Amino acid sequence: MGPYPCGSAATGWEGGRSEAPCAAPEIDGLLAGAGYRVRSSDLCHVAQRLERLESAMVGSSGNHVDFAHPASDAVHYNPSDLAAWVDSMLSELAPADPGPARHAPAPDAWEDQIYSQPQRAVAARMEEEEDSGIRLVHLLMSSADAIQRGDVALAGSLIDEMRLLLTRVNTGFGIGKVAGYFVDALTRRLFSASSAAAASGSPAEYEILYHHFYEASPYLKFAHFTANQAILEAFEGHDRVHVIDFSLMHGLQWPALIQALALRPGGPPALRLTGIGPPSPDGRDSLREIGLRLAELARSVRVRFAFRGVAANRLDDVRPWMLQVAPGEAVAVNSVMQLHRLLSDPDSPGPAPIDSVLAWIRGLRPKIITVVEQEADHNKPGFLDRFTEALFYYSTVFDSLEAGRASCSGAQQQQSTAVAEVYLQREIRDIVCCEGPDRAERHEPLMRWRARMIRAGLRPVHLGSNAFKQARMLLTLFSGEGYCVEEVDGCLTLGWHSRPLIAASAWRADDFDEDARPIPDNFIFNSISNTNESNSSINNNAAMLRRRNSNNNNSRSSDSSSQQESIHGM
Amino acid sequence: MAGSNEVNASESQRVVPLNTWVLISNFKLKYNMLRRPDGTFNRHLAEYFDRKVPANATPVNGVLSFDRLIDRPTSLLVRIYRPSPFLDTDSTQLSTSPVSSLLTDLIQHPSTDPFPVIIFFHGGSFAHSSANTAIYDSLCRRFVSLCNAVVISVNYRRSPEYRYPCAYDDGWAALKWASTQPWLHSGKDSKLRVFLAGDSSGGNIAHHVAVRAIESGITIFGNILLNPMFGGQTRTDSEERLDGKYFVTVQDRDWYWKAFLPEGADRDHPACNPFGPNGNDLKGLPFPKSLVVVAGLDLVQDWQLAYVDGLKKAGQDVKLVYREQATIGFYLLPNTDHFYQVMEEIKSFVQKWIEYKITC
Repeated sequence: MGPYPCGSAATGWEGGRSEAPCAAPEIDGLLAGAGYRVRSSDLCHVAQRLERLESAMVGSSGNHVDFAHPASDAVHYNPSDLAAWVDSMLSELAPADPGPARHAPAPDAWEDQIYSQPQRAVAARMEEEEDSGIRLVHLLMSSADAIQRGDVALAGSLIDEMRLLLTRVNTGFGIGKVAGYFVDALTRRLFSASSAAAASGSPAEYEILYHHFYEASPYLKFAHFTANQAILEAFEGHDRVHVIDFSLMHGLQWPALIQALALRPGGPPALRLTGIGPPSPDGRDSLREIGLRLAELARSVRVRFAFRGVAANRLDDVRPWMLQVAPGEAVAVNSVMQLHRLLSDPDSPGPAPIDSVLAWIRGLRPKIITVVEQEADHNKPGFLDRFTEALFYYSTVFDSLEAGRASCSGAQQQQSTAVAEVYLQREIRDIVCCEGPDRAERHEPLMRWRARMIRAGLRPVHLGSNAFKQARMLLTLFSGEGYCVEEVDGCLTLGWHSRPLIAASAWRADDFDEDARPIPDNFIFNSISNTNESNSSINNNAAMLRRRNSNNNNSRSSDSSSQQESIHGM
Repeated sequence: MAGSNEVNASESQRVVPLNTWVLISNFKLKYNMLRRPDGTFNRHLAEYFDRKVPANATPVNGVLSFDRLIDRPTSLLVRIYRPSPFLDTDSTQLSTSPVSSLLTDLIQHPSTDPFPVIIFFHGGSFAHSSANTAIYDSLCRRFVSLCNAVVISVNYRRSPEYRYPCAYDDGWAALKWASTQPWLHSGKDSKLRVFLAGDSSGGNIAHHVAVRAIESGITIFGNILLNPMFGGQTRTDSEERLDGKYFVTVQDRDWYWKAFLPEGADRDHPACNPFGPNGNDLKGLPFPKSLVVVAGLDLVQDWQLAYVDGLKKAGQDVKLVYREQATIGFYLLPNTDHFYQVMEEIKSFVQKWIEYKITC
């Protein structure tokens, strides 16, 4: 078809890759530029499948176009994998027609390619170009630069200048407010010892801040909601399930899951929850208290429930045996903004704590691992780089909080926003003031997390259109029309005005042998509960789509797990 | 009325490269799932399907992009593309030095010499796509390199949630905003050398924003319409001849007009049919010079040709580029003569009119 090579790299993408040259050169470069991943050698096959799909769509409704199609009620996964999507549609609409068997390309090396170029979206919030605002940003950058160069004197005088400027600028909102926090952080960096600079309060105080941040914005709700959806789907067909929460806090995430499990067709499973959290300094067992409340809720909705608290200051102090995973139970590992604490400086040698933790997570063979992280690169070794990233990231977050506050009326809500800002201030201080082992807020972008998870031997689980739709509907409950949910190759992000701020992904490690070859994307849903059927991949996708509550390989024999849980429900 | 699917598939496969066929067929089938007979639209699924890309303030092939919110109440975002202002733009490897993404650096004057500002309206029949949709991000980047332009892609409100005239209002807002940005003005006379451009519904928006600009004092240096979306109540020969043959059906066109036009309006509404029975006379008005590209396998071509005719009859300057064997969406992938030759036409058009002296 004309002289132009189909496989040439698309414009706009050449030279944009930060990774090694394309590891899957047979992917059609032009379609990749459009957001779709298809092997050149598969093009013909995909074209045929599309033709067949159109026939099937016409056939089932008798109308040529313009119909409300049953396919639109299906749950879709990862639209970028065009071949898999077409196949899943066909199995939904024409199950008698399996078509020629095909293998999807091994996706993992490729998944990084599309979105791997470094991103630095400028904060869209800087629409008010008052001279003071721009000047403040200039001064902030200059002082960060001075600090990076070791010019303490200059940094100090710039900070003085900024403080002066802040008295003349509206610090109630916008750049003035955010600048205030960053000036504060810079001051602490210059004039306090690293460990004192972040000066965090007690765990109890932190939990209160967290709670207010939860109330004042949709970010944590999105995190909990998306993770719960993935956990719910992964637990289908399982009788005994065990959720391991890497940071229990007030257990805000779990009432919704407990209630969803209670309403599950076929009845709820027996649920164990292991909550990890810091030890309470004052002798209270705060983990246990939360567990009691959750048990009460579970009892009220008739879900068999057991809770165990694991007190640990750091995740890498946790050992798998503490979690007491029982054989036969389906395990979910849930991490909301915890994994980044296990990272170290990118240029420091040797393994980071994250590696050993991911290894033991994998060893648990979880059905699902839900990971939610801030979508930002705050782990850059260079101070100026990190500072710049953080300035724009938190500007955007603060902007969204402001919009939320501006449009809500309750005094309660207003107060939550104020406290939520303190929650964010902690993060800012950590990123700006702390170095080395003192710095905990080592946020990294989704693409890097994905590569890390895959290197650790974990398999991606795509978050589907169902979760996406419900996340978007969740957002309509929030005023401040600027939030956006996006699907990125199987993951979901929540952002403000086109800037993603938080990313959710899901993984599993339960379905392969140590020395098996990597499983192609199509086969990821190779039976959540059926491991022995010799179905084609298409039928397995159909099983996925129809949410078949199929024969349960987990026996219903008596629960022989240990009785050491601290709290039982029912 | 439409041919059987097999005939249509093989016909359309004969005239476009295979990857183009796959891309556009994919859109066609997905879009079919989104339109409901009762006129509602499955927006959640549409957003899920849409492949988006983030803005990137790091230059790629010499082009960088960033998003700006230009109207808070309507959440009107634009994505701005520009040639990299930074010296270190070796595009074969990434710059390792920290590239300042500070807004003030990004909005430096691209050049002291006159440069074009292209306000671009993406297509999607008023209902689909966004400024950050991957296919349109690619196209806008190409325009920057092609014309040494700053491109402003407008994330206008879409139907059926927002009907006429919301998309036009947003287009107008973007034009007005651009006129307030000093860094977008160039040349000794410091003018905003603005062109309006768009494909499909975007082409329609470009026309109507240009009409609105007539009384405003903002001079538009040119309109670039790629397969613009126009229509009318009667059925034309091309609609009957080509219905369903090359990815598009009359039925889907009807649906999109019904979703965009005011309730109860028919397709002779001037938004749809600007030179129809309810249209406005542009004779004697300072309407911009137009470049109209028509694909010979596009079923609405008779309406597009009627548009060109209407401009001519009103004494307006219009150049028609008719690509006989081109289908809709030929400009999405750089893999045909149509693509490259039309890009050259656009480049020439912009170069020709950017130095045009306005005599009033």
